[in-house]
Amino acid sequence: MLTRRQLLKTTSVGFGYLAFAALAHEQAAGAAAEVGANNPLAPKTSHFPAKAKRVLFLCMDGGPSHVDTFDYKPKLQADDGKAVPRGPGRFGGRLLASPFKFAQHGQSGLYISELFPELARHADELCLLNGMYCDLPNHPQAFIQMHCGIFQFPRPSMGAWIVYGLGTENQNLPGFITISPSGGNGGPVNYGSAFLPAVYQGTRIGRGGFGGGIGAAGQQVANLRNPKQTAQQQRIELDFLQSLNHNALAEGGDNPGIEGLISSYELAFRMQAEMPKLMDLSKETTATQRLYGIDSGRGGGGLGGGGFGPARGGAFGQQLLLARRFLEAGVRFVEVTLGGWDHHRALKDSLTTSCAAIDKPIAGLLTDLQQRGLLKDTLVIWGGEFGRTPTGQGDGRDHNSRGYTMWMAGGGVKGGLRYGRTDDYGFEAVDGRMHVHDWHATILHLLGLDHTKLTYRHAGRDMRLTDVKGHVVTDIIA
Amino acid sequence: MTRLVLVAATSAIVWMGTSSLRAQPPRVSTFIEQPTQEHIAFFEKKIRPVLIEHCYQCHSAEADKIKGGLVLDTREGIRRGGDSGPIIQPGNPERSKLILSLRSKNPDTAMPPKGKLPDPIIADFETWVKMGAPDPRDGKAAKLPPKYEIDLVKGREFWAFQPPVRPPVPPTAKAGTHPIDAFLITELDKHGLTRAPQADKRTLIRRVYLDLIGLPPSPEAVEAFVADPDPNAFAKVVDQLLNSPHFGERWGRHWLDLARYAESSGKTVNMNYPHAWRYRDYVINAFNTDKPYDQFIKEQLAGDLMGGSDPKVRAERMIATGFLALGAKTLNEQNGLQFELDIADEQIDVTFQAFLGLTAACARCHDHKFDPIPQKDYYALAGIFRSTETCYGTIRFIQSNRPSPILTLPKDCGLPPGTPEKLTPEERARIEKQIEDLNKQIAEQTDFIRTLFPRGQVSLLRARLEAFDAEGNPKLLAMGVRDKPTPKGGGVGGLPRGPGGLGGGGFGGRAGTFTIADSPIYERGEPDKPSATRVPRGTLQVLTKAPLKITPGQSGRLDLANWIASKDNPLTARVMVNRVWLHLFGRGLVPTPDNFGAAGQPPSHPELLDYLAVQFMDNGWSVKQLIKSIVLTDAYQLDSKNHKPNYDIDPDNVYVWRMAPRRLDAEALRDCMLAVSGQLNPQPPVGSVVARAGEGPVNAFGRPGGANITQAINDPRNVHRSVYLPIIRDNLPEALALFDAPDPSLIAADRPTTTVPAQGLFLLNNPFVIRAAEAAAEKLLKTTTTDTERIRQAYLAFYGRPPNQKELQNAQKFLKAYQEQLAKDRVPVVRRERETWSAFTQALFASAEFQYRK
Repeated sequence: MLTRRQLLKTTSVGFGYLAFAALAHEQAAGAAAEVGANNPLAPKTSHFPAKAKRVLFLCMDGGPSHVDTFDYKPKLQADDGKAVPRGPGRFGGRLLASPFKFAQHGQSGLYISELFPELARHADELCLLNGMYCDLPNHPQAFIQMHCGIFQFPRPSMGAWIVYGLGTENQNLPGFITISPSGGNGGPVNYGSAFLPAVYQGTRIGRGGFGGGIGAAGQQVANLRNPKQTAQQQRIELDFLQSLNHNALAEGGDNPGIEGLISSYELAFRMQAEMPKLMDLSKETTATQRLYGIDSGRGGGGLGGGGFGPARGGAFGQQLLLARRFLEAGVRFVEVTLGGWDHHRALKDSLTTSCAAIDKPIAGLLTDLQQRGLLKDTLVIWGGEFGRTPTGQGDGRDHNSRGYTMWMAGGGVKGGLRYGRTDDYGFEAVDGRMHVHDWHATILHLLGLDHTKLTYRHAGRDMRLTDVKGHVVTDIIA
Repeated sequence: MTRLVLVAATSAIVWMGTSSLRAQPPRVSTFIEQPTQEHIAFFEKKIRPVLIEHCYQCHSAEADKIKGGLVLDTREGIRRGGDSGPIIQPGNPERSKLILSLRSKNPDTAMPPKGKLPDPIIADFETWVKMGAPDPRDGKAAKLPPKYEIDLVKGREFWAFQPPVRPPVPPTAKAGTHPIDAFLITELDKHGLTRAPQADKRTLIRRVYLDLIGLPPSPEAVEAFVADPDPNAFAKVVDQLLNSPHFGERWGRHWLDLARYAESSGKTVNMNYPHAWRYRDYVINAFNTDKPYDQFIKEQLAGDLMGGSDPKVRAERMIATGFLALGAKTLNEQNGLQFELDIADEQIDVTFQAFLGLTAACARCHDHKFDPIPQKDYYALAGIFRSTETCYGTIRFIQSNRPSPILTLPKDCGLPPGTPEKLTPEERARIEKQIEDLNKQIAEQTDFIRTLFPRGQVSLLRARLEAFDAEGNPKLLAMGVRDKPTPKGGGVGGLPRGPGGLGGGGFGGRAGTFTIADSPIYERGEPDKPSATRVPRGTLQVLTKAPLKITPGQSGRLDLANWIASKDNPLTARVMVNRVWLHLFGRGLVPTPDNFGAAGQPPSHPELLDYLAVQFMDNGWSVKQLIKSIVLTDAYQLDSKNHKPNYDIDPDNVYVWRMAPRRLDAEALRDCMLAVSGQLNPQPPVGSVVARAGEGPVNAFGRPGGANITQAINDPRNVHRSVYLPIIRDNLPEALALFDAPDPSLIAADRPTTTVPAQGLFLLNNPFVIRAAEAAAEKLLKTTTTDTERIRQAYLAFYGRPPNQKELQNAQKFLKAYQEQLAKDRVPVVRRERETWSAFTQALFASAEFQYRK
């Protein structure tokens, strides 16, 4: 473990210009090691051999209903309309049967609802976590807990911890990218680095929420383009700037800070060139685009995160394709947020819309990852901050943090597995219970990180993503 | 934490499952002392083998380490229970932790840890408990290893808890050596280090300008200093800077880092704090007027209790207590008591970290792991802060349901309102009408969910009305604290009293307290686990010889403040002089400025630290005098160049063999760009954009009137100093966040310096930087005529020195190359000169020499 001071001290040492100059002529991914072990983003050895090398988190902001999607409850169907006595987490009301049919899919025979006809074809890749639970049925707290482990204090988000623990493969790109994150529910807290150095925080592309539903084409990283200069003009300016910096370096004797500054400018300059190329989806074949539903009109959906309403027109498929391109290029942790899952009202219509927006794109993503041989070491995670009540709230469902479903695929998890169980109606996780802390511990484990050893000293304590809790659920690991 | 301890917390879940009962033995309520033959047979057959197989490994005399203080291998042991109390309530399995742990599905609490036992075995244990837990085993239970207990007597011996004593100044070879230099030279000699030479005058004046006021010296000021032969020339500059209003803007900002200053609540629902800016201005003013530091402490903790006949003084003291009210808050917390405990915790944390460099808040859930701070001491402090009402404002809105009152300043205090606006009678009428319409809409709506939005609108509109007095003038309001009332009838007080009432508690769920009262200890900090007795209000025992005397009828904040701001407190002065040293040298004498406890690091120069601390107190706690005495040393005026032999011995410059070069902090970097480009508006703005926006969520849509905060945060046209930028939690201005400004939800004693490509992108492409470069180019073009003269002027303005011949040529080469590129890119001739010089000045802004202070 590095202390903050050690880490900061080494942040730029040895990140020298010569090493960089060599790098400029290499494939960035392969040359990462040459940047120097003291680069805080250089790839690091995991605690033990990893199953997964990178993570894609499909964050369903709002809390998708589990009993209508991946947690089949025949008794709920049978007891539609029955009153339920009050109890912990049960606020009375009547059971609301799912308006959607479930069927078994794949060799594994996993039950998946008719909302996911395309994704159901990948049943044997999915590891359904039916016994998820978290601390509070409140959007902001649960959303922050899902990202940062605890919501009571500012804490780094999961992506920041992972990049802190593992570094990243491509030094021309950020290690943690979040696409159209929610502006609400703590907003940037959910991709922040809190007390970890800022270099680990998520780089935002686009913004979710009201008026933020922009397609991949319009989504940019801040300050990536100079509004006035051409690249050639800027290069001349940069060469002059670097000559000033070399002069300062020579004048002051070795100054690791200035060395770091010099290389960071080159990285910045190349990121400007690299990012737009990477974000240019037109480089993908029509077949691939179609896979993600981009040309079929079914890859839409994607108001982005944080909205109240159902998903409407947008580019979830484009965002997933973008995510795949980032992962392929060596980004360690990518998150794509889609809002609009808070279905208090008109469950049947709104959930249909939301699921239709993601079904084909996610299925396409899994196929694409598989075809490229990336699925085996890419951990894909799907889910929201909680699930919803089996009882109705009018024609919708209320929040439920006591039992819900998330799923994983690839990255060393068992496919075609249903792990954990809620009670007969889906109120509460009863078997294979998996708290968010356990979920985090397991994700870190799949990446080769021991959640009790991934620590950072802050305010006199060795802090962890899982605080003092968390158990690795080894049963789901292939 | 033991596993058993947690069982109770989850018992509500376990409660729901009922065990299948086979035999129904007679219910008992005491332990069976005379077991029958059947009892013995049942125990030997069903219980003892299970205990041996599954429990003894951790819970018996043979265990390597007895877990949870619990042994199960004797009758005495099983009946005594563990660290968290008895585990069997005879006759009642539902209340026996033994049974609840066996049933638990929570991996943190379940026993045995390796996996749940089969249901029939658990049923046997239930039966046995119902019988009265007959146990034929005799013998003494194993002695438990002595529990770790905090030793206060030994704890007081720790260096930081001993009062500082003025040490003798070590003798030096050179007569007239500054005492501070004498201490430093002694250590340098000891470590075989040689001191760097003195910095040249140009470097020195730029250094002291940046350190003291955070702005660069003008070329004229540099030349005047260089030309001044007076041996006191530097002292004159220092005095001038200490008297500049910009001094407070820089040093106040250092304090605001510690005070986790922000203008919104952060966390789950980010609501505006429209009056926070008053605290910001109070801090800046306190540094500018050199308010004695002890006074500064007292005002922030208990200004409301200090009185004062002058309304302006009273108002300032109220504003000062904003220190306690500004913290991040979970405004959608359902549980009122939890909310109250969290606020008190945050206040303890900031008070002890900022003034004393201690992490006292660690003792909320358990005794401090490193420092001699028992949990009891924490709740002695919590009693003080729970007896305090925190007035932070905010309004009810979607998810935001914990508004509090706000302080009204004395009418004749002479302070400006936060907004120049007035509320016209027409607008008042219009808003009142809007509220009426919305209320009608709400009344007609049967679906609660659909009332949320209009309710929020009503809240916003009401808040707008309430921000003005009857004449339509903006009210003078402030964040801060005040004591809760004394309990009626002189009882212990503080018992929850239905919903409503004072802020800090009372809305929904369990309420907080409403009067001055001592606090119980909460087991593991959990609000539903109060101890039966309360801890008298007070402070840390390790730092006191006798308990703190609490003034009757008061919360105790003033007593706490007086104790902190006292010469007898071993930490207060040391912690502050260390902060000043850190800001001037880039490294504290204690390298962990936020932790003077056992988990921190000891001082590199203990005598110097004590010398400075005693000197600071003897000089009436004057921060300006402290700074002046340090910057006038030779040590502060050393050159910053690297020196290999020294570097090999002391790479971190612990012993100050040179002045460590440092990158400008975010505010200084931005301010220097504004200053050099001639755009800076040196006047402080009145209020803040958050004040003009008023109460409500940071991202309010449909806000009535007011300013758009989100737009203002990164407005490239803002030319005020950075300390006045809007500080919204989780949405810091880019110019600050990118260059390591701290997260304002955290208490920050020291900022890191990271160098990342995102900073490069900002300096190369951001509109603010481009504007500054254009303005700087414009200035050069206006004031000078030849390229050589322009380059020279630029070097003087940006770096405080003229260019040498090589640099001049290099710059000319660039100008030519850039011009040619523009021609190639067919940029119209009229634009070329301006664009070339903009690129030139932008490169200078982005250069290391500009970003670093040597």
